[in-house]
Amino acid sequence: MTEYKMFEGCTIGNRIPFIEAASRKVFDKVGIMTSTAPFSCCPDPTGMKSFDNNAWLALGARNLALAESEGKDIISLCNGCANTLRGVQFQLKHDSLKKGKVNAELAKIGKNYQGSIDVKHFVDVLNDNIDKVKGAVTKPLSGLKVAVHPGCHYMRPAEWMESDDPMRPTTLKKLVAAAGATVVEYEEEILCCGSAVTNAYQEHGMANLKVKMDSIKKSGADIIVVNCPACFQQFDTQQRDLGKKYETEYSIPVLYITELLSLAMGFGAEDIGLKFHRTRMKLEDFGL
Amino acid sequence: MTIDFEFRKTVMDYHVHDVLKYCFQCSRCTDNCPISAVTIDFYTTTGYNPRTNILNALLGYKDAIFSADPLTIWGCTVCDTCDEVCPQHIELTEIFTFLKNESVKAGTAPDFIYGQAKAIYDSAKAIPSQPAIERRREQLGIPAVAVPDVNEVQTLLKNIGSDKKLK
Repeated sequence: MTEYKMFEGCTIGNRIPFIEAASRKVFDKVGIMTSTAPFSCCPDPTGMKSFDNNAWLALGARNLALAESEGKDIISLCNGCANTLRGVQFQLKHDSLKKGKVNAELAKIGKNYQGSIDVKHFVDVLNDNIDKVKGAVTKPLSGLKVAVHPGCHYMRPAEWMESDDPMRPTTLKKLVAAAGATVVEYEEEILCCGSAVTNAYQEHGMANLKVKMDSIKKSGADIIVVNCPACFQQFDTQQRDLGKKYETEYSIPVLYITELLSLAMGFGAEDIGLKFHRTRMKLEDFGL
Repeated sequence: MTIDFEFRKTVMDYHVHDVLKYCFQCSRCTDNCPISAVTIDFYTTTGYNPRTNILNALLGYKDAIFSADPLTIWGCTVCDTCDEVCPQHIELTEIFTFLKNESVKAGTAPDFIYGQAKAIYDSAKAIPSQPAIERRREQLGIPAVAVPDVNEVQTLLKNIGSDKKLK
């Protein structure tokens, strides 16, 4: 079994670690081995890349070089990190001038970037092991209606991510189905959660989130399932303010796909830190 | 409006695949942009408009981009939808990254952007480690986050010149 370098990222690692706990439980059940490394911020493809693209390339290449020095692929728990690390690989692979410049900088800290390893989003790794995922499910979540939100950076730009269809993604749906839950379709499935613009323009972020949430509400979904910590936080922490702003109730619980799978694999609410979610979810309401 | 030829050349050079000049202003980017959808209506020319940004960048209308409301550049939520729907396969988000990088240099970016860069410079993480979360990780039974080498990160950022852009 191959061992991956775990890239939990800043948000999951230093803010919402219960998602990492659930992910590690699922990885154990499926037989995905990981080890840690002293990675810095990936850095953020919406923040640091906008600040300075050269800094984004250099810090990203440094992280890749750390995993390369051990000859191991990276497994990312976050859309943003997967997007950055794959994006840096892509840009340096197709631009030897940039690669040379980045390596000249890395040489000053005793590092070198070749581009010899792969970066995987954890959803793709779980999907590659879908039979083992299904085999580990002991408590199928039958009857639970799920609206999926794979998030932009999981699949776009397609030429970097090379995973799912960039405009009609299906992988997350397969994992939800593997947990025994029912996927409900909704119109705005590929609409961005708006996390990045909310940081600068709260009012536009909220207006965008309203479009998304209204569509999810209309679908009759019990919960929203995501695979990105930025999207998770956008849905989990902003629904209450959204409700106040537009005088409508928005209170749909949000689960990470690995939390959903943990529940289906027999773990309880305590094990996955459900109490740390802002949108309250009582398992008994859904007969779980 | 004046054309800034130097700026125009920089935009063109920035673009690896050199397809920006094939933009024929079809507006699929703006039609599919989630932020255009909530900031533009038929009767106004304000709001976030990726099509206009591409046109102004391509023509070298520097002032139209940088002297306007910062929303002109920073309304982008980096969803990469425009890249996928563009019939000419222009990597719009890369052009917008360049425009944002220039705005950072001019000091007109949103506070959040400088704040995150500062956090990364100071701690090597966008969200620094906190004792409460470290305890929670322990309670959850997961290993501590491996501590990154802040010196290495600062050396890289200094040599690239990123530290000078911090506020």
